[in-house]
Amino acid sequence: MKRYDLVIVGAGPSGLSAAIEAAKKGMKVVVFDENEKPGGQLFKQIHKFFGSKEHRAKIRGFVIGQQLLEEAGEAGVEVVLNATVIGLYQDKEVVVRKGDRVEHYKGNAVIIATGAAENMVTFPGWTLPGVIGAGAAQTMMNIHGVLPGKRVLMLGSGNVGLVVSFQLEQCGCEVAAIVDAAPRVGGYGVHAAKVARTGVPFYLSHTVVEAEGEDHVTGVTIAEIDSNFQFIPGTEKHFDVDTICVAVGLSPMSQLLKMAGCKMEDDPKRGGQVPICDPYGRTSLPGVFAAGDVAGIEEASSAMIEGRMAGIVAAEYLGYIDEEELKSELASLDEALNGLRQGMFAPQNRGKAIEKTEEGIDISESLLKNGYVADDEIEKYPGVTHKTGIHPVIECTQNIPCNPCQDACKKGCISIGSKITSLPIVVDDSECINCGMCVASCSGQAIFLVDESCQDGTATVTLPYEFLPLPEAGTKGKGLGRDGKVVCDAEVVSVKSMKAFDKTNLLTIRVPREYAMKARFFKVV
Amino acid sequence: MSERIKEHPILGVQEKGKSVKFTFDGKELEGYEGEPIAAALKANGVMVHRYTRKEHKPRGIFCAIGRCTDCVMVVNGVPNVRTCITPLVEGMEVCTQYGVSAKPFEEQ
Amino acid sequence: MNSVNDRSRDIGPFVPGPDDDMLICRCEEITKGEIRKAVHDGMWTLTEIRRYLRTGMGLCQGQTCSRLVKGIVAKELGISPSELEPAASRVPMRPIEMEVFANEAPDEKEGE
Repeated sequence: MKRYDLVIVGAGPSGLSAAIEAAKKGMKVVVFDENEKPGGQLFKQIHKFFGSKEHRAKIRGFVIGQQLLEEAGEAGVEVVLNATVIGLYQDKEVVVRKGDRVEHYKGNAVIIATGAAENMVTFPGWTLPGVIGAGAAQTMMNIHGVLPGKRVLMLGSGNVGLVVSFQLEQCGCEVAAIVDAAPRVGGYGVHAAKVARTGVPFYLSHTVVEAEGEDHVTGVTIAEIDSNFQFIPGTEKHFDVDTICVAVGLSPMSQLLKMAGCKMEDDPKRGGQVPICDPYGRTSLPGVFAAGDVAGIEEASSAMIEGRMAGIVAAEYLGYIDEEELKSELASLDEALNGLRQGMFAPQNRGKAIEKTEEGIDISESLLKNGYVADDEIEKYPGVTHKTGIHPVIECTQNIPCNPCQDACKKGCISIGSKITSLPIVVDDSECINCGMCVASCSGQAIFLVDESCQDGTATVTLPYEFLPLPEAGTKGKGLGRDGKVVCDAEVVSVKSMKAFDKTNLLTIRVPREYAMKARFFKVV
Repeated sequence: MSERIKEHPILGVQEKGKSVKFTFDGKELEGYEGEPIAAALKANGVMVHRYTRKEHKPRGIFCAIGRCTDCVMVVNGVPNVRTCITPLVEGMEVCTQYGVSAKPFEEQ
Repeated sequence: MNSVNDRSRDIGPFVPGPDDDMLICRCEEITKGEIRKAVHDGMWTLTEIRRYLRTGMGLCQGQTCSRLVKGIVAKELGISPSELEPAASRVPMRPIEMEVFANEAPDEKEGE
């Protein structure tokens, strides 16, 4: 039996982060992962992450994955792939299937970072080919380069449903609708808004009545439900789709911890069966730790911090660092994690209906019901201001832990302040130089540069654009409103693509002046 | 292979392995070496991977990461192969799985 | 006593539902009706349901249906799903061919 200081199960964001920290402390670390490639779900995340610099904000998930792998390599972490852990025993014996044989390992400490599995809902036809998990769609399009479908209905309006819908559009699929049984959009408003403005309709308080098709999905019927989750007759809507994507939440994959004998609990706020553990991942079994989604569903950003915490705690458990070092290292990580666990979507606020922002502004009802802030609501938010000449318009309307826009503007036009969840404001008397860095750095694609006062009675709107084909200057088309409906004629004035924008192209369109605060997307019609 | 993403706005042109031939129920198809069998099938428009044992219902890709086992097929004569995580190799014989066999139910 | 263990409790008769033919366990092809009936046959824990119907014992080992089965059983018993203990977790956690499972790697010396 091979012995390691630390055996980690799962080479996703938390497992790799744990491995890096532990190896840096001089521990002999091995990470097992059942997949062919490391990184867990990070390599499927092609959007820019939220948070602040220390959380690797505004960096795309797959790039963070590459960074973690490099750091793991430098730290001397051994990552064993195609290695399925099939058992974990109380004495920290780990049973691993590799190829056609089974091997036994002993870890002086063990970190379980197995992540989560997708939840499912049932409806007639849910076993038909063409009904897939949202994760499957991400895997097919972002890893294997194959279209999951041509026309897709998304069931679920949480962050996964919203992000995957956008990604489907990015690779050329049409998203017919986003449907959720809940009465309100579950994910970040900015994620919803960037999908809604492309023309995807949202159906809240709706769910799937039936998936149609003989051998595979050819259509779907949805209908509105009442507060008892019963269909309301006469509200049926039909869509011709070839794919139904299910994004209805995740459950921790905690079976290994349970098998080892860790005390478990059922905690709906953490996503289901989770180990009882302290904030640093110490389970009821000495030397067995849990990190990432397996200990409670959160974001990849928090999983990375949890992983680092578990790695450090494991190092202290085995005497590689002393208590003092432990305390000081955990203190800074505590701060980083607390930074992420703030705002409307923080774990402690899960399930709560929040009516007002921290600033006391009403949360947009339209955003929660339709996926976009209505034109008559948008002016309430502090990032939406008017002035002569070009200036940023920040349509960030919910308190989420994110602040790259503040650093992006070298002219100091944008301020969030010390509280990371505060809504960004446009600083009075600041001078916008039209560099576009704020537009490109906003992970929520919620910043626009607007010039409402061009001399010829027109206005220009610069918007983030991550689709192909990229329109050229001079292309005529239509300006779409926040609701994705055509509002006016529009012409592309310029297209900026710079390395610093990291694939977020800046499209500047010219629209009639009265649409300066309405046109938010461009489509060639 | 119209279902392939040729160029992606974020990921660019994805690197593919060498093009290989394999068979699906005896019919010759093309895919890329090393990609999951399921991806190659999907790119060729194949939706049904198997028919279930009891109810004879069609199944295809569902989780795409080797968890759900819905996409299993008979590969080189071996049933229950998870096609979403099994790399494609030149000359592979991939067959629709009926129950646990490559033979249609009426021939079993 | 946890209400799930109080077997003297009357949960009423099995009442057929409109969606009883909905497939729940995709691998073993077990329907919602079969699961609901099993509860009325006296299978009140997830482990019992598993042994009685084979839900979650197919190729995927309950990856997809565990949560769904839990919800159905809880509803039938009139309790919260969180009161139900999940079915036992044991080796092997993932599907594995018996010949591989039996193929133990030769023991190497510790520290190698």
